[in-house]
Amino acid sequence: MNDPAILAASYVGPEGHGNDLTGLRAWRSPLKESLQHGRLDGLHWSLVSDSDPSRFARMDLMCRLGLMAAEMLDAGFDVMAEARRERMGVCVESFTGSLDTDIRFVQTPRPSIFAYTLPSSVIGEICIRYRLKGPILCLVSPDAAGNNAGVEAADWLQAGDADTCLCLGCEAMDREVADAAGLPASLRPRGWHACALLLGHGQGTARERSFTPGPLVEMCRKLCRV
Amino acid sequence: METAVIEPAVAIAGCGAITALGSGIEPLKRAVQTNASGLLPRDCVVGKTRQTIVAGWVPEATLDQLRAEDSSHADSRAFLFAHAALKQAEQSVATLLAAPSLVAQISRPVASPASRSARCAESQLARITKPPAGLETRDTADLEVCATVPPARRGLLLSTTKANIEALEALVGRQPCSPVAQRHIQPALLAADLASVCDARGPVQCVSAACVSGLLAIQQGAMLIRRNLADLVFVVGVDLISRFVLAGFTALKSLDPEGCRPFDQARIGLSLGEGAGALVLARRELLLPPCILVSGWGSSNDANHLTGPSRDGSGLALGISRALSKAGAAPDSIDYINAHGTGTPYNDSMESLALRTAFGGRVPPFNSSKGMLGHTLGAAGIVETILCLAAMESQLLPGTPRLRERDRMVPESLLENPCSASRLRRVLKVNCGFGGTNGALVLEQELP
Repeated sequence: MNDPAILAASYVGPEGHGNDLTGLRAWRSPLKESLQHGRLDGLHWSLVSDSDPSRFARMDLMCRLGLMAAEMLDAGFDVMAEARRERMGVCVESFTGSLDTDIRFVQTPRPSIFAYTLPSSVIGEICIRYRLKGPILCLVSPDAAGNNAGVEAADWLQAGDADTCLCLGCEAMDREVADAAGLPASLRPRGWHACALLLGHGQGTARERSFTPGPLVEMCRKLCRV
Repeated sequence: METAVIEPAVAIAGCGAITALGSGIEPLKRAVQTNASGLLPRDCVVGKTRQTIVAGWVPEATLDQLRAEDSSHADSRAFLFAHAALKQAEQSVATLLAAPSLVAQISRPVASPASRSARCAESQLARITKPPAGLETRDTADLEVCATVPPARRGLLLSTTKANIEALEALVGRQPCSPVAQRHIQPALLAADLASVCDARGPVQCVSAACVSGLLAIQQGAMLIRRNLADLVFVVGVDLISRFVLAGFTALKSLDPEGCRPFDQARIGLSLGEGAGALVLARRELLLPPCILVSGWGSSNDANHLTGPSRDGSGLALGISRALSKAGAAPDSIDYINAHGTGTPYNDSMESLALRTAFGGRVPPFNSSKGMLGHTLGAAGIVETILCLAAMESQLLPGTPRLRERDRMVPESLLENPCSASRLRRVLKVNCGFGGTNGALVLEQELP
């Protein structure tokens, strides 16, 4: 069996959004200024896709960011055979998790918000959109580097538990929400981003890159030329 | 020529729990034998109203005792519960639930540091893990057995959905809340503090994947050992019944006001539970046979709905087949299944279909333990695995507490009351959760 390889990478962050093919595309004003100040409500599905935005509009920030990063991989999920979807795993890693949504739910306890008060909600949304049924894992880590997701995914590939794996590092917290809750600095992320990496068994295609376990965020930023 | 790498097998070496039935494993073992329920009504605030909620509350006396033992964490119930369960698990390695003989070489009474060093030198555990010269072990009784594994070879896995969420409620509501309690809002920081008190300086991870977190944490713990990153891994799951969780499940109209009745004809909802469960996983060769092995695991996603299960059960069936495959177990070799069985109409129907899909017409005997302890969320996979160990020890098929009349859609092999098992060697534990997540775990009793 071939060693795990990077099949695609994407990044969404204050600097812009893009993937390993396109490189980084900077945000346009006035969204750019808003995002750089940590106000994330301006992120819209239309920035990355022409498909129906209705489900996206109901999601919390983490799911929105995570789904945008997954869509921007441009990895042909829509035309993928059912058998491949069943063998694609999703591994998410985050420091912030669902804390932004947790605060919003404490302030306004609505069922539509409660559904997103789990860090793993983003896995559900990604799997629903792309009909993925492979193994899943959601790790909450003591920092936002994403040190483990790639290692776990590579292990699934090598153990034969999955044929491909979408790794996602995601940090989403609106600064105003954190301020209103009086959240201590130790619980706040330093910034916000979503990084996605698609790992699989290398087939020698031009887009492939060799995979060396390491921090997911750093890897995606480099591949997307941030 | 390539040399095949043989991954080390993983065994369960100890366990502990804080649940609605109080502190320790003994109350759980008794409840398995008697089909008892720990669900009780308690008045509490839900949203802006006072309500009586039937749930698996950790008894006040248990909480008071834990606070008296550790006043510095008095307002971090998540830490108190998890730490207490971990301490019990460490100590239980000497009196292992399933097979006391298997830890004979690594269990012994507390003695002076000098004699402890001598014992370490002669123990099987010490020989295999080769502790470095001059290794210092903490002079506390609860670390006695596990301390024979060097700290760098001890890992910790935390499973939780909301960690110490009460502190976030206090913070947002401008109520008093200690910095430690606030720190434990973040699950990974809670995991780090628990690792510190266990002197686990190896890999530390925190899994938060809805109600399958516990099974995934056991899986991850086993993987750390299989990858040779640790020789011993503490796996602890904890969650609280908080205003936050009550408000959420009430808003979703998921709670049964009279208490849950899993797989019952008249079931209308779940009952929440709280507490912690802890397991000590170890490399198989560190323990004397026969052991209970963590032999297979699998997970999947329904790709269907964020808060509801798939209607056809295909996602869970996929997770089960993956776990059986990894364990090298044929479906007809499973002697008993501890189901998720929340008591919601949709979950129990879906699960019934999934079991039929995975096992065909011969669904092994199965039960739900939610009527005993409530749904303990991130702790459920671990606490319910401990109940499986209790069943395997007593060779008893557990019943389904609070069941009155089996739903006719549910397979007939549902266990209504405890009964003797002719064979209880291979057991399957399953859980499902929000986001369409499914998890399955296979436990296997080694033959003597």
